[in-house]
Amino acid sequence: MIAEYAWLIPVFPFAAFILISLLPKRTLLWEDGAVYGIAGTVLALGMSFAVIWDVLQGHTVTTNSPSFTWIVIGSDTSSQLSITFGIWIDQLTAIMLIVVSVVGTLVVIYSCGYMHEEGDTRRRYYAEITLFISVMYGLVISNNYLQMFIFWELVGLCSYLLIGFWYQKPSAASAAKRAFIVTRVGDIMFMAGIIILLKYTGNLNFTDLFLGNSTAGMDPNMLTLATGLIFGGAIGKSAQFPLHEWLPDAMEGPTTVSALIHAATMVKAGVYLTARTYPLLIQTPNSLLFVAIIGGVTALIAATVALVATDIKRVLAYSTISQLGYMILGLGAGGYLVINLGVADGYSAATFHMMNHAFFKALLFLCAGSVIHAVGTNDMRAMGGLGKKMRITSITMLIGALAIAGIPPLSGFWSKDEVLSAVYHAGDFNASFFLLWFLGVATALMTAFYMFRMWFMTFAGEPRSDFHAHESPKLMTVPLMILAGLAITSGFALFIGKGFKAFMSGAIGLGAGGSPADIASEIFTDPLTYVSLGMAVVGILIAYRIYYLPGFDRSVFARGVSGKLQKALENRWYISKFYDDFAVNVVYAFSRLADWFDRIVIDGIVNGFAYLGARSGGVMRKAQDGNVQRYTALIIVGICVLLIFVLYILPWGGG
Amino acid sequence: MIPIEYWLVFSSLLFAIGAYGVLTRRNAIVVLMCIEIMLNAANINLVMFSSYHAVLHSISDSSGQVFALFSIAIAAAEVAVGLAIILSVYRRYQTIDVDKINILRW
Repeated sequence: MIAEYAWLIPVFPFAAFILISLLPKRTLLWEDGAVYGIAGTVLALGMSFAVIWDVLQGHTVTTNSPSFTWIVIGSDTSSQLSITFGIWIDQLTAIMLIVVSVVGTLVVIYSCGYMHEEGDTRRRYYAEITLFISVMYGLVISNNYLQMFIFWELVGLCSYLLIGFWYQKPSAASAAKRAFIVTRVGDIMFMAGIIILLKYTGNLNFTDLFLGNSTAGMDPNMLTLATGLIFGGAIGKSAQFPLHEWLPDAMEGPTTVSALIHAATMVKAGVYLTARTYPLLIQTPNSLLFVAIIGGVTALIAATVALVATDIKRVLAYSTISQLGYMILGLGAGGYLVINLGVADGYSAATFHMMNHAFFKALLFLCAGSVIHAVGTNDMRAMGGLGKKMRITSITMLIGALAIAGIPPLSGFWSKDEVLSAVYHAGDFNASFFLLWFLGVATALMTAFYMFRMWFMTFAGEPRSDFHAHESPKLMTVPLMILAGLAITSGFALFIGKGFKAFMSGAIGLGAGGSPADIASEIFTDPLTYVSLGMAVVGILIAYRIYYLPGFDRSVFARGVSGKLQKALENRWYISKFYDDFAVNVVYAFSRLADWFDRIVIDGIVNGFAYLGARSGGVMRKAQDGNVQRYTALIIVGICVLLIFVLYILPWGGG
Repeated sequence: MIPIEYWLVFSSLLFAIGAYGVLTRRNAIVVLMCIEIMLNAANINLVMFSSYHAVLHSISDSSGQVFALFSIAIAAAEVAVGLAIILSVYRRYQTIDVDKINILRW
């Protein structure tokens, strides 16, 4: 069975990384090593599909996976802790493998066109991006929390390197630092969660934690704390409120990197972690509620900021945060369904949305990259009228926008609807979910609005500045077309075979639900479906009225209460400003205090000793006054004292 | 034979007199003479212990007395060097008062 060889998947891109970084320059061949990057990712893609095929046949690798022991602590076999490296292949892994392999490969191919003008730095780019893809594969196939954490940190490192790719630009350098430091806050929580699990269960293997009963004897409060902290890692990595502000700043990197981070690697790692921890999360309803609230609030807040953003990549960045919020919300709500009804609706909906989002968000980012490549600016206010000149880009981006807005039959409709319905049904068990459902529906409206605002501002109307746009090369448009095809069709995975829901139910050990036909009839007879669909249509129509039809005076928004609101949104709800002020005032004040302490107390002690030595030396040297007779007298006194000590005191003291 | 305590008291007194002279006298030549007295106290001890050692073990061993002869020879050499130093100090400073000769210091 080929799934046992899944550990080969990260090896291919890693080999590409080694080759690109170490080979002499003239052997890098085409595009400074891109050819190795493509080869590595394509091989990994093939291997991933072989593994996915295995999983689709019902063959998973969970217990007794091939592994090697890395560290053994303790000699007593009953209590020793052994850290192993192994693989864990189940349905969730398969979904992530699809996402990472498809998006990763297409992004690397697209990069050949997008990064063509970068010159020698392309070598660094391809080395870093293949490493990024490799460690993401490693994270996905990990079979214990420590192994996952190692790859988790490597993913963070690679995103730091790539966001700061143009490190000569101060804004890129600081955005990279910000991404690294903010996600580090989450990483610390993740680590704390792991430590709690290790302390109480003595093991970090998924086999023992999920399939065994090693958490059975654990204090429920500690388990809630552990799962909450592990989700804290996801808050940082998946840019959830309140640690979401690094993601929009991460737009300083090349657009291909943004596509990869947003669709396949960095931020998906957080959602993947939450989904992976599900067997523990469903034992702790309080953590689940926390997960759902964070997701719902994030979805709404990020969507509101996207309404006014003028940078095309920032709109997409906030929409990613918002969609990640959906996934997290779906996971949180789904847990209540698992606990109370024993169905995997929310879980499968969230992972389904994760997969669909990967395709349409990669598509949107690569389209935005194509636009930026042609126009040379990120500012949508300077664009307009590009639809005629960039036909393929505009049509594929329209497909992406329709998918994310949730228009049937594109992929976003199916998964978003499933998420919202899971949240609504979870409301039967905890009334807070009704409120979260409202947030989700409001987000759906705003999502449709801002995506079409972006599309109209970019492609419709007349050019608003002087540029000579042209369609991008084939190397860039072909990946766009492939992703557009996926954005249209990936939603139908819901109905293929036994259906997506039945497939994902296996990952958390639940039986299959209804047949695909039942699911379809459920979707189309549920009034909630038409509520969210109506919201999407209304959002698109509002955008059409305001940004497409001429004669609408947008300055009305800048007055009165809505003006204040607009100002708050343009300043991203002042959250970013809060962090900056926090850093300036609180951290700086603390640093001043530490500086004072260092200079006065620490240096004071050190300098004090030096002063003491100098002064006592000054006093003591007076004893050497050149009078030989005084020396002699001291010698004689000293000898007498020594004699008395040796002859009388020592024998007496020794008994 | 004279009891050993007598010898010990005698040499201790001699040593103490010499040490007292070294510590109190100002004249460098007198200090040198007092050092000779201390050396002789040590010589008396060497001779005395040597003789007692031979008698107590009924052997003929005079190595302690030879040590004393060495010591006397070295003392003679020491006096020669010491007097030479005192002479050159006097030429340089016009005094041999040990309280005034104190420039070898911090």
